[in-house]
Amino acid sequence: MEQPVQTETWKARSLEELVRILHRIFAEDKVSVEEVQALMESYESNPEEWLQYAKFDQYRYTRNLVDNGNGKFNLMILCWGEGHGSSIHDHTDSHCFMKILQGNLKETLFEWPEKKGNGEMTKKSERVLRENQCAYINDSIGLHRVENISHTESAVSLHLYSPPFDSCNTFDQRTGHKHKVKMTFYSQFGERTLC
Amino acid sequence: LPAGLSQWFPALEVLDVSGTGLAVLGEELLALPRLHTLLAKNNRLGGPGSLPKGLGQAPPGRSLRVLNLSGNRFAEVPPALLGLRGLQSLSLGGNRLHGIPPDIQELRSLEFLYLGGNFITSIPPELANLPSLSYLVLCDNKIQSIPPQLAQLHSLRSLSLHNNLLTYLPREILNLVHLEELSLRGNPLVVRFVRDLTYNPPSLQELAGRTVKTRNVPYAPSDLPENLVRYLSLASNCPNPKCGGVYFDSCVRQIKFVDFCGKYRLPLMHYLCSPECSSPCSSASQSSTSQSESDSEDEASVAARRMQKVLLG
Repeated sequence: MEQPVQTETWKARSLEELVRILHRIFAEDKVSVEEVQALMESYESNPEEWLQYAKFDQYRYTRNLVDNGNGKFNLMILCWGEGHGSSIHDHTDSHCFMKILQGNLKETLFEWPEKKGNGEMTKKSERVLRENQCAYINDSIGLHRVENISHTESAVSLHLYSPPFDSCNTFDQRTGHKHKVKMTFYSQFGERTLC
Repeated sequence: LPAGLSQWFPALEVLDVSGTGLAVLGEELLALPRLHTLLAKNNRLGGPGSLPKGLGQAPPGRSLRVLNLSGNRFAEVPPALLGLRGLQSLSLGGNRLHGIPPDIQELRSLEFLYLGGNFITSIPPELANLPSLSYLVLCDNKIQSIPPQLAQLHSLRSLSLHNNLLTYLPREILNLVHLEELSLRGNPLVVRFVRDLTYNPPSLQELAGRTVKTRNVPYAPSDLPENLVRYLSLASNCPNPKCGGVYFDSCVRQIKFVDFCGKYRLPLMHYLCSPECSSPCSSASQSSTSQSESDSEDEASVAARRMQKVLLG
């Protein structure tokens, strides 16, 4: 993705339409980050449309693949029970869009640790994302941790990654040490994947 | 709750009265023999008598499996619910609890216990007597220490401790063989112990004792003064399983950061025979294996055999 070639203002009136427009956008050579973010935000979350993908796990958050974008992107729904959170992670040189479909998620941004750093990682900022808001991050912006800080409500988010990736680095906040991890899907296209 | 509820809906199995402003769940509950799920989150429950007396003995006391009282005003775990012997899932997240009653152990069937977002300062060891507990959430509280007995929760798969006041974890935590998720971020773990790391080098007597033990130098009580025989009998084995070393008085009360399976590093308080001990010791009885791996990976492979996936941070 480089400079916007022609930024359209899209309005996705359903999840299906969102996916269709995304396929159109990503069929082009150049894709605009702003365009995709605006498109994601334009979709007004309607649980009826995504409930089939929203499979929760008691113990931790889940990743549920919705569409694999002809190899150009991955669209997935993440389900966060009360108190569930992610580790601090990077995005393997990909673009990451995160839209809240239900509830709220707290995003904490971190600076990349120093090369041979052995100290606590530096928090850049934090914010709570509300329903229908869409956040964007890539490795040049930094690293983040995402968590559902509510003790009473679960949260659901829609993520788009381009290009798709199945591994990333997780970081220890206390030392900045990183470790590569493989990411898996709890379900794909609405079907539970057992592995 | 409306009077006559149990007459209109005698077969009621699931009741969700969340977000209705209720201050009391009354006796109408007691006559619902098929009730297995009661959701009453985000209400004004918490005062005395919020739950009907005799709940444990009444019909729903046996049938109730899931109880969600999160987002209310409970300052203590309501005694009325401690009689729910069939209860599998209990949530009291986001209340005003200052502690956990030891009688929590009465909830023999409990598998899921959510107590995040309260003001809890300590954990009673009796919590470890819940034989089926697999998911325990204690995040966002004021907990200062974890009783080592918690390691007896053999079914525990997920333990959430983030955002508390923990300074270390007991080493026994490694005994939780089914633990897959563990969150510890937002605890004052590192800072305290990095500063406190000290090591008093072993005395000549200790060094001699270690040599006797690790090289199996034979001795009989008649060979040594009684005090030295006693001394030799007090040797402790270094908990590092790859180290055949022993120690007597001189040990490092050390926090080692253990990297579990590629996730985060866990500071465990334990005693090691020396600051260098975390990988195969340079003692003659050990076969020399490559020490090119960092210490943490050695301990990681030990813990890796037991813990699968630990989320830390």
